[in-house]
Amino acid sequence: MSLVSGPGRAGLSTASLPTELRLSVAAHVKYIQALDNRKDELEYHLTTHLRLNGVYWGLTALHLLGHPDALDRSQVIDFVLQCQGENGGFGAAPGHDPHLLSTVSAVQVLVMCEGLGELEARGKNGGGALGVGRYLAGLQDRKTGTFRGDEWGEEDTRFLYAAMNALSLLGLLHLIDVEKAVAYIVSCANFDGGYGVSPGAESHAGQIFACLAALSIAGRLEVVDQGKLGRWLSERQVERGGLNGRPEKLEDVCYSWWVASSLKMIGKLHWIQGEKLTKFILECQDTEQGGFADRPGDMVDVFHTVFGLAGLSLLGYPGLEEVDAVYCMPRKVIEQVLGPREEIPIE
Amino acid sequence: MGKYEGNPVWDDVVPIPQDDGEGALAQIAYTDEYAEAMGYLRAIMAAKEYSPRVLDLTEHIISMNAAHYTVWLYRASTLRALNTPIDKELSWMNEVALQNQKNYQIWHHRQILIDQLYPSISSDPAAIQALADSELAFMTQMFDEDSKNYHVWSYRQYLVRKLGLFNSPAELKSVENLLRKDIRNNSAWSHRFFLVFCNPEYSTPDSKATEYDARIPDAIVDRELAFAQAATFEAPQNQSPWNYIRGVLRKGGRKLSSVEQFAGEFVTLPEDDSAEDVKSSHALDFLAEAWSEEGKTEKADHALRLLADKYDRIRKNYWDWRRAPLKEKTSK
Repeated sequence: MSLVSGPGRAGLSTASLPTELRLSVAAHVKYIQALDNRKDELEYHLTTHLRLNGVYWGLTALHLLGHPDALDRSQVIDFVLQCQGENGGFGAAPGHDPHLLSTVSAVQVLVMCEGLGELEARGKNGGGALGVGRYLAGLQDRKTGTFRGDEWGEEDTRFLYAAMNALSLLGLLHLIDVEKAVAYIVSCANFDGGYGVSPGAESHAGQIFACLAALSIAGRLEVVDQGKLGRWLSERQVERGGLNGRPEKLEDVCYSWWVASSLKMIGKLHWIQGEKLTKFILECQDTEQGGFADRPGDMVDVFHTVFGLAGLSLLGYPGLEEVDAVYCMPRKVIEQVLGPREEIPIE
Repeated sequence: MGKYEGNPVWDDVVPIPQDDGEGALAQIAYTDEYAEAMGYLRAIMAAKEYSPRVLDLTEHIISMNAAHYTVWLYRASTLRALNTPIDKELSWMNEVALQNQKNYQIWHHRQILIDQLYPSISSDPAAIQALADSELAFMTQMFDEDSKNYHVWSYRQYLVRKLGLFNSPAELKSVENLLRKDIRNNSAWSHRFFLVFCNPEYSTPDSKATEYDARIPDAIVDRELAFAQAATFEAPQNQSPWNYIRGVLRKGGRKLSSVEQFAGEFVTLPEDDSAEDVKSSHALDFLAEAWSEEGKTEKADHALRLLADKYDRIRKNYWDWRRAPLKEKTSK
């Protein structure tokens, strides 16, 4: 999946639209389908290290748009399996070193394509889900509970969430020390109610999402001071309706997902104004050539496209497939794998 | 002919082209500078070669694409294998980082290098100070471009821990300089909290940022309160120092009501029907919590109602949630 930005710019053609902005479903589907035909652009090659993440972003967007079959299933599965290394982990592209983040994208894509059977038949490191699970579990530091992204040891609360995401989808959460992981997340809580990348690091909406989603998977949301966190998260909405990721930063469509899904997980999505946020997200789409940008007027890309759509889905935008706040995948796919989803009720 | 093809230094290497997989994702023919260099890197990596020319090649690739983390990792391995002086690598990286503000791979690479370097200087305070000074100078340059760069701040915390800079006067001073330039810099506020309350000289080891720490001296709590309070007068609607004050009070085991008088400077709520005067919604919020602490339920509710209906309407549902337990109290 190409991560090339453009060709369109967000919001330039909305002037002719009625005040009631509409989601340009067909344009977005076409935009994602066309991404892989743009290999003649340098940017395509400069983003090879994110290729498998890109497939996950594109495919999730298509699922949410109600067009899960817009990419060829067997081609997608073949590509994913070609990215797997001998140790069971997946690289971002064929021949790339395995990394935790691309491995998680691989699992998410295979689950969405119902391709775990192919993984069993053709996977490496002893084959199948267990080969992948062993690779992921091997990245946990058993002393601290954290995860390294690869053999090089960079640590990040995102990695912890990502590993728990994939392992839970594979039914292999028991391979890791969940309690240690939870204790580490607790140590990342800040005085302002948020969470950072490591103990003492500034609160950041992306890291908060990762911490909350990991705690949701572990069934341990009760360790969070939800009122205080909800207060910090709701302060992210700016006058224009969009959300920023930290105080005094610009709003950005991707935070429509990180902030709103976090609020959803603690039953407080109604603490921000959904209508205003919906309007802001819709202003960030290119209604003709498809795709979403971070802000109106900027270049579109697949990353902001999936998080814009996921945000709209979370806010109940009509016609979109319902998204799961923890996994950022279609809720019905997650329910097929994990059974009915419990939610914290709105207070 | 490219930079490598036909170059005698690289004569022995057969480049390996990118394999994009089969079918629709099949490889395509492209021959730009980047593709050529990557082809040579794949060949070098396949042969597990760690030589000086690998440093040239990876430097060239990084100049075109600093985000390719495999390139960084292979470079780190090569540096280690060759025992290359780390200060030279650090100063080269300074340039790369300044040109690639959003790049994070470089910060991890930097940590790997510092980890490698540290054992050789750990018993030499002058060498540690020199490293701390040069790193601080570089980070100051980075902050001139973007004073909220998350990667730089994360690296900075790593460095403070690694080199034991909690008591370094330059460290606290630098944070104050950044706040003087932009009092709304939440990253700088956050770093200050870390510096002050994780200082191993007087804090409880592993005390969480969210909990009371009995070992923090009163003088430190007083100093931090005074610092943050001064900042609120400069920009009353800046949420960072208000959050900071709550954090300091929590660390010091003090109640919000202990600084009620200060917060009251921003808010006048007359008993009669005359209009209120609110210079900061954060102050109003703060007072609501302080009053609620003291059992002044009606006053607290009044403040929250003002926030919900007038001063922060976008978050009405949040303020109503805060009001709910107060209503229970009054009805009991």
